[in-house]
Amino acid sequence: MFDSVIVSGIATIIIGVGGMFAYFWLSNLFLDKVLFPPTGKDIGRNINRANMVRPWLFLFPAIFALGLYLVVPVFYSAWLSFTSGVAAEGSWYRNYSEIFQNETFRVSLLNNLLWVLVVPAASTFFGLVAAQLTDKLSWGNFAKSLIFMPMAISFVGASLIWSFVYHPDIEIGVINAIRGLFGAEEGVTLIDGQIVDSFLLMVVLIWIQTGFAMVILSAALRGVPEETIEAAIIDGANPFQIFFRIKVPQIIGTIVVVWTTITILVLKVYDIVAAMGNQYRNLEILPTQMMQYFDSGNYGFATAISVVIMILVLPVMVWNIRQARAETR
Amino acid sequence: MANPATISTAVAGADTLPLDGPQGPRPRPRLSRRNIFIYGTMLVVAVYYLLPLYVMIVTSLKGMPEIRLGNIFSPPMEITFEPWVKAWAEACTGLNCDGLSRGFWNSVKITVPSVFLSIAVASVNGYALSNWKFKGADIFFTILIFGAFIPYQVMLYPIVIILREIGLYGSLGGLVIVHVIFGMPIVTLLFRNYFASLPEELFKAARVDGAGFWQIYFQIMLPMSLPIFVVAMIIQVTGIWNDFLFGVVYTKPDTYPMTVQLNNIVNSVQGVKEYNVNMAATILTGLVPLVIYFVSGKLFVRGIAAGAVKG
Repeated sequence: MFDSVIVSGIATIIIGVGGMFAYFWLSNLFLDKVLFPPTGKDIGRNINRANMVRPWLFLFPAIFALGLYLVVPVFYSAWLSFTSGVAAEGSWYRNYSEIFQNETFRVSLLNNLLWVLVVPAASTFFGLVAAQLTDKLSWGNFAKSLIFMPMAISFVGASLIWSFVYHPDIEIGVINAIRGLFGAEEGVTLIDGQIVDSFLLMVVLIWIQTGFAMVILSAALRGVPEETIEAAIIDGANPFQIFFRIKVPQIIGTIVVVWTTITILVLKVYDIVAAMGNQYRNLEILPTQMMQYFDSGNYGFATAISVVIMILVLPVMVWNIRQARAETR
Repeated sequence: MANPATISTAVAGADTLPLDGPQGPRPRPRLSRRNIFIYGTMLVVAVYYLLPLYVMIVTSLKGMPEIRLGNIFSPPMEITFEPWVKAWAEACTGLNCDGLSRGFWNSVKITVPSVFLSIAVASVNGYALSNWKFKGADIFFTILIFGAFIPYQVMLYPIVIILREIGLYGSLGGLVIVHVIFGMPIVTLLFRNYFASLPEELFKAARVDGAGFWQIYFQIMLPMSLPIFVVAMIIQVTGIWNDFLFGVVYTKPDTYPMTVQLNNIVNSVQGVKEYNVNMAATILTGLVPLVIYFVSGKLFVRGIAAGAVKG
């Protein structure tokens, strides 16, 4: 087993990386020796031309791959959502009109909006509080590294840990065991398909994402000029006023970036609901709905939902892209 | 932290008057409102963030009879590694009863080539984008950012068709291609930003001295960019190892990565639920990223923060 892993792994790497560099080297050689050789009477012009073409040559594999696997699929999905499934016989929008009439779809859309409203806000807020509190403690870095640890665990792993926390059995589930410490005799079922149970699943994602928000925001908090805080202290501000009136307004830009990044993540999260609440229709979100249609071969509905997800992400995405471009200028 | 007391002593010290009375910051009572607030919050934080992890570790070391006794918070009376062995080698998913080991080796076979390939391509791309300003670079850059943020759901089905056409659907190779491509945007942006932050004079001096595209890349850029390579590797290893969605869609039971197999083992309905085995399996699956986290520390935090949009 071990041998075959190593052999096949090394072979893939050699073929992949070697093939790529062989392509780079040969195409470079072709450009310099055959297409625009730096000799003869056009030497200056040829060198310039070669330098214009060269980056494109080296980016070609990446552009080709991204085009084939990113750009084409997006348009193909949109195309399928208008032409396959029920849209094949009726009008082009039938996939959309039918999913919007579907009760479960509407529930999952509502749940998705709840996730988007709650998770980014809660993660950012807890992250901010954790960043502020740990900065003051001597063992703050240790606390930080523990709060960050869930970021290293997969969403599936985290969901399984929390299924254990929510387990209905009083001898097994952590929450029920805590109730037991206070005198409860019977365990309660925490996740049984009520709409509000979605919040219990959101807790998992907040648990994971707080570390991310904390790390970014604590770096921003350290960048707040000391003079502004000292001035506030002299003016008699209390710690809460210093935090909310002096520090937060100065790092509001970073807070928004953290918020939007988590929002984008929330819209495409699938693993948590799939691992924890897949059997309950009331807990569905758009990605799990899409996967159900996908698994049952209803590609018209599946692609239509994926387009809906993309449209929901788009405004945040465009905002984030503009932000990223403004930064890199 | 400056507080009024230290400021006033600093002012007093500036005069050359002899000081009498107590000096230094005003002593705080141990149980001030502020301390109660901080420690109270820390307690809640500890319960929320650490208790699940603690219970998971403790449970994985107990035998099933002991778990049935209750007391999930108490440390194991008798430490047993049997659940770990069982999770690794014997736990059943459907018809296969060889535990997580198969998924582990699949994940290794998927992660290693994906990480090498994507970083090799992305570092060259990032270098070309930041140093060789050329027409159309802007468009390519926009596509990259777009690719970093777009929800993967939109591409799922068309890529199934593409992989089926080229005969790689359900194989490890197909999943490697998918991971290389989906990891590329974020890693390319990472390299681009890093190379753009290096002083431009280095690049220009090398050009004046007659170095070409590859000479500059290998002899000037690479030696200076070890940290960013480590960060990129951390993003990719963690992201690919923890992936679930692509694993579910693009592989078959034989080629399932570890996360998918973990989910199947824990959620399988047959037989008696063995919570200690499930917890051991969860820890085993998280072990690779956790070890990387504890070894690389700050770089890990930087990497995850940079790659956070990967979901």
